[in-house]
Amino acid sequence: MRKFGLFGSVLFAAALAVAGPAAAQGFNWRSQDGQTINLMFNNHPWSQAMRDMVADFTAKTGVKARIEIFNEEQFRARLTTLMQGGSADMDVYMSLTSREGAVFHRAGWYADLAPLMADKSLTMPDFNYEDFGASIRQASTFGKQIVALPINQEGPLFYWRKDIFERCKIAEPAALEDIPAAAAAIKACDANQGAWAARGIRGVTPYAMAAFIYNSGGSFATPDGKPGLSQPNSVRGLEMYSSLLKDYGPPGALNHTFTQVIELLGQGRVAMTHESSNEFANIVRFPNRAGDLGVKVLPPGRETRISKPVAIGWTVAISAHSKRQPAAWLFLQWATSREVQAKLVQAGVAPPRASVFEGEEFNAWAKELPIRRAWANALIEIGRTGTGVYQSPTDRIPEARDLIGGAMQAIVQGRATPAEAARAADADLAKLQ
Amino acid sequence: MLRTQTLPSYSDAVADGTSEADGAGGFTAALAGNNFRWMAAPALLFAGAMIVFPFGYAVWLALSEVQLGSVPRFIGIGNFRRMLADVEFWNGLYLTLLLYVVSLSLQLVIGTWLGLLLARFQTARGLVRTVMVSPFMLPPVVVGMMAIVILDPSFGIANWLLAKLGLPPALWLSNPDTVMLTIAALDTWQWTPFVALIVMGGYLSLPHDVFESAEMDGAHGWTRFRYVTLPLLGPTLITAAVLRSVDILRFFDIIYLTTQGGPGFSSTTLNILAYRRAFEFFELGYASAIMVTLSAIVFGSVLVFARLRRAVAW
Repeated sequence: MRKFGLFGSVLFAAALAVAGPAAAQGFNWRSQDGQTINLMFNNHPWSQAMRDMVADFTAKTGVKARIEIFNEEQFRARLTTLMQGGSADMDVYMSLTSREGAVFHRAGWYADLAPLMADKSLTMPDFNYEDFGASIRQASTFGKQIVALPINQEGPLFYWRKDIFERCKIAEPAALEDIPAAAAAIKACDANQGAWAARGIRGVTPYAMAAFIYNSGGSFATPDGKPGLSQPNSVRGLEMYSSLLKDYGPPGALNHTFTQVIELLGQGRVAMTHESSNEFANIVRFPNRAGDLGVKVLPPGRETRISKPVAIGWTVAISAHSKRQPAAWLFLQWATSREVQAKLVQAGVAPPRASVFEGEEFNAWAKELPIRRAWANALIEIGRTGTGVYQSPTDRIPEARDLIGGAMQAIVQGRATPAEAARAADADLAKLQ
Repeated sequence: MLRTQTLPSYSDAVADGTSEADGAGGFTAALAGNNFRWMAAPALLFAGAMIVFPFGYAVWLALSEVQLGSVPRFIGIGNFRRMLADVEFWNGLYLTLLLYVVSLSLQLVIGTWLGLLLARFQTARGLVRTVMVSPFMLPPVVVGMMAIVILDPSFGIANWLLAKLGLPPALWLSNPDTVMLTIAALDTWQWTPFVALIVMGGYLSLPHDVFESAEMDGAHGWTRFRYVTLPLLGPTLITAAVLRSVDILRFFDIIYLTTQGGPGFSSTTLNILAYRRAFEFFELGYASAIMVTLSAIVFGSVLVFARLRRAVAW
């Protein structure tokens, strides 16, 4: 026993001698103590929550973080100006990689996170990149380069007023085609009740409209990769979205984006919408909405049985021009860690980490209200079946989405039939390929 | 008739190398000569840094193809050629000029009327002027947000008021046929008081003996306004027109906040078009070409008014 103890002591001393230098090179949250990083965010529930929580990051790492939050238009303008000017002032920024990822990657604006992730002295041992959903990881990967970390997952969901449906004796829509029928029934039941609201501004519409096209059996691309909005099933989906807006939407719908749509639903002026999961927290803040709303993934086509929702995620990236990349990487790890994501759920931010989604805290939160459970279930479904593609194949994604939204506007304004609008859009989309 | 009519302006005096103080020689004479010209160098350098360089860079971008993240590649007038063939550009130009003509006309007409009214208004003049100033003291973002809330066809107070008056609801910013008129009305609401204050100041500084003479010669009401007041106010009105022209032609924030150029392209002025091309579609070269063209239009309008000012000077 004494012999073993001596042997053990020798082994322990040897292990210490070997492990000593390794431990010195190991991950340390305070390795960048005293640095200051600048962060620029789009106005979003995640960034608002970050502003409140960032003091925790400073306490943990000793790194000061200065956050600037802008509305999306100003955010994009400032980001483009800073990056094009090669400014090293900004270290971390939010990016919607499913939209601008290809262009920004080509411009060399993203720092590659893969080498940082592989460096054990810079990356926390339990970081576990595979914990993020595969489709979300894919949107931020270009070749071998990882350009950003996901901070949320979101997609448009179908919200409907269960109390109005009950009062008017209308069944919950089980198929896509039930939605126009339900809108007509609501108008017949109560002429003063708005039936439907959805996005109408060109560039932001495809996000909400895509599932109508997919569930109708359509696609934005032909099998050989050409623009496919004028395919018969695509036209059917385009027509349904446009007709709902034209026949049952609020006046002035073509100037509406999510802010107006949420206001209309929250105030009880409309009975149905197809709007971002991200707005859930804002919707249920309105009186009574937590109790009388239903939420789920847009129903599948009756005959196609296809349910293909949009699922995207905002990400957070490190600027390629940043001179403080290790400190910025610490922020990214902290902001996307399990602990922080579990807290962010309270702010209505859907976690992109599977372990958080399946964790006790999230489930306890979701169980408190039936609508939270329904929202969580819908998010699980879009995470499983969703797609981040809602335009024809091109690198010029914002322009392509603008053209697709333009086709919808032409139909609503009566300037073109659905087939004509789709054909014209396809001709313009082909020029972007 | 007026003494001021016969006096040379200060700039003329400097250009001629003469001044009222010439007899005394000294500083003014030195200023008129070459001795102190070097003192203007800091101002010229500052102007160069703040105006010439950014504008020159915009012209360089306009003559280049700009790929994000890379150095601009010179392509000559390629972006301008593309612009001439772009229906969105011509639509933007038409809307920009439409907004300019409608807004400027409304602001000058209503502003002159209001300014003359205020000049004669004695009761609580300070309070009235403070109230007048308030619209153009508001940041455009606030005006835009107010417009969104008030003019929204679904929950805005404007349609509620129309309903109370028994009138049909209007789509305001959501109707392609009325959106530009609504935007012109918003700009007019915000900036007419500014024109009115300029007109009032100009009117109050006019010599009273002219009006007394006109009264004695039997000029009253419209005749007096048409043949005496308006000609005397000419330079003041041109100054107001120049200031408003520059502002209206580069009008952006309220349009972007309220319509983002829609519905369709019905409020996509050149400014909105250039912004979208630059920051949504990342076409910095083409957007610069549009902005350089708009700058030329603004500069042209200022030159026209400068000539007009000489024509109406008294």
